[in-house]
Amino acid sequence: MADIVLDGVSRVFGHGDKRFVALDKVSYTVADNEFVAVVGPSGCGKTTCMRMAAGLEFPTSGTCKVGGKIVDRPGPDRAVVFQQFALFPWKTVQQNIDFGLRSLNVPRSEAGDRIAASIKLMGLEGYEAAYPHQLSGGMQQRVAIARAYVLNPQVLLMDEPFGALDAQTRTVMQEELLRVGRINPRTVMFITHAVEEAVYLADRVIVMTRRPGRIKETIDVKPVRLAEKWDNYERIEDVMDLESFVHLRTRIWRLLREQHDPADH
Amino acid sequence: MRALTFLLLESGAGMTGADSGKTRLVVGGATIAGLIAAWYIASTTGAIPKLDFPSPEQFVAAARQVVVEPGFADGLLFDHLLHSVKIILLGFFAATAIGVPLGLWMGWSRTAEALINPIFLLIRPIPALAWIPLAIVWLGLDDAAKVMVLWFAAFVPSVINSYTGVRSIDRPIIEASRMLGIGRMAVITDVIVPGALPSIFTGLRLSLQGCLTALVAAELLGAILGLGKVLYQAGLDIYPAMILVGMVAVALTGFVLTALLDVVESRSMPWRKR
Ligand SMILES: Nc1ncnc2c1ncn2[C@@H]1O[C@H](COP(=O)(O)OP(=O)(O)O)[C@@H](O)[C@H]1O
Ligand SMILES: [Mg+2]
Repeated sequence: MADIVLDGVSRVFGHGDKRFVALDKVSYTVADNEFVAVVGPSGCGKTTCMRMAAGLEFPTSGTCKVGGKIVDRPGPDRAVVFQQFALFPWKTVQQNIDFGLRSLNVPRSEAGDRIAASIKLMGLEGYEAAYPHQLSGGMQQRVAIARAYVLNPQVLLMDEPFGALDAQTRTVMQEELLRVGRINPRTVMFITHAVEEAVYLADRVIVMTRRPGRIKETIDVKPVRLAEKWDNYERIEDVMDLESFVHLRTRIWRLLREQHDPADH
Repeated sequence: MRALTFLLLESGAGMTGADSGKTRLVVGGATIAGLIAAWYIASTTGAIPKLDFPSPEQFVAAARQVVVEPGFADGLLFDHLLHSVKIILLGFFAATAIGVPLGLWMGWSRTAEALINPIFLLIRPIPALAWIPLAIVWLGLDDAAKVMVLWFAAFVPSVINSYTGVRSIDRPIIEASRMLGIGRMAVITDVIVPGALPSIFTGLRLSLQGCLTALVAAELLGAILGLGKVLYQAGLDIYPAMILVGMVAVALTGFVLTALLDVVESRSMPWRKR
């Protein structure tokens, strides 16, 4: 069991005049092997939530549990794909992917197989000896994902992992992620501000609001996906054309638009 | 001079990426050749008085005297050079072997920073040359005194830059290593050190430069052998050609040592190559 449970989580940043509530009593659960996408305007606290599950940030009040245990530190059981990739520039692709396995003391022969498998999965063959700066943003992102996958984590935390990619690469990566998820389901918290991406990938979409960061609504995608047989379509654009898809997308768009408070400007 | 400018523009025009390195070499060579020609012309026409600045012939004669025979200031250039380089390397390695780890440690650990920073803040503003009197009182006019002065010259930049090197490592990279569960030792060897390396080398280059400056200054005050002594003796003798030879020798020493450091630097950071 590796579920993520945020229970009444609040997070306050700063002191005095600068004090502000980034998260206000946020509660949600990502069930075991469930793929949950979190959308919301920038600054609503998506990253902060994810960092709490990762153990890189802590609630001011409330609790964050993963697999029933309060999160008190980061660890390879909760692999993070950082928005800024965060690859080690001084390590080759192979070494970047291997680094975590070394600390897990995975036997070398097994590590070799796992690295090879994740390199193949992410289409990185031939780039094993390249350094990150020699790769395009899209390829670097694949390395970051391979580095997370190779750990075989119970929980995968992804922060706008495709945000920096061009539309084409992004589409390929989304299809790939869905394919990999079918072979090897994980508990995934996936942050994005692309609504279509959220609906396409997730079992459930959580919509957040800003100032303070709260949950506005949770939309179940999975029942629709199963009922309308989205999985029968190979390509993302075919799914996006379906009426059921458009309906969900529009609903989420509305939720996001509603919070466009004119007082903000 | 106009001809030289023309030459520079001419060879610079239409430069493409592939041969720009070659072109720069040619231009650089041309500049130096032009300067030497100008020097020759100026001194033969008497534009520069020979008493103030030596002619190229005088320079060559002085160079021959100190390089081949009979030597100058109690030795051949090679002896002076060897002696100076030995002191530079002693001071440089003694200082950076302590300075770099100390800087890294201060960058990594708040406790270390709190502990060491006050002492360091006291030492930091003291110019290395201000240690000379104390070095002489403690260690006399020996090599040990010079090594001590060089130590302070090299220590400060190696600490500061190693420290900033650690602090400038991207936070997400540190977080990624924590997420991957990397052990303490591996974090130091595989994350902290390589992450700080570019800045460490900036510090080492400054340390080396500081050593060279401090060496010449320290040797000017008294030495048995050394490039500084050549300069000092030539000054006493009012021997401009030898002064110039000494200066060129110091410049070349600095150039070669820096070039060696550059080689070590690019070897240590293969990921920075294109
Ligand atoms: N360490 C921090 N210190 C101060 N403010 C922070 C910190 N981390 C995040 N914030 C603030 O909290 C709010 C939510 O941030 P974040 O979780 O990154 O939002 P999102 O990922 O949804 O864009 C933002 O206003 C951000 O500026
Ligand atoms: Mg964010």
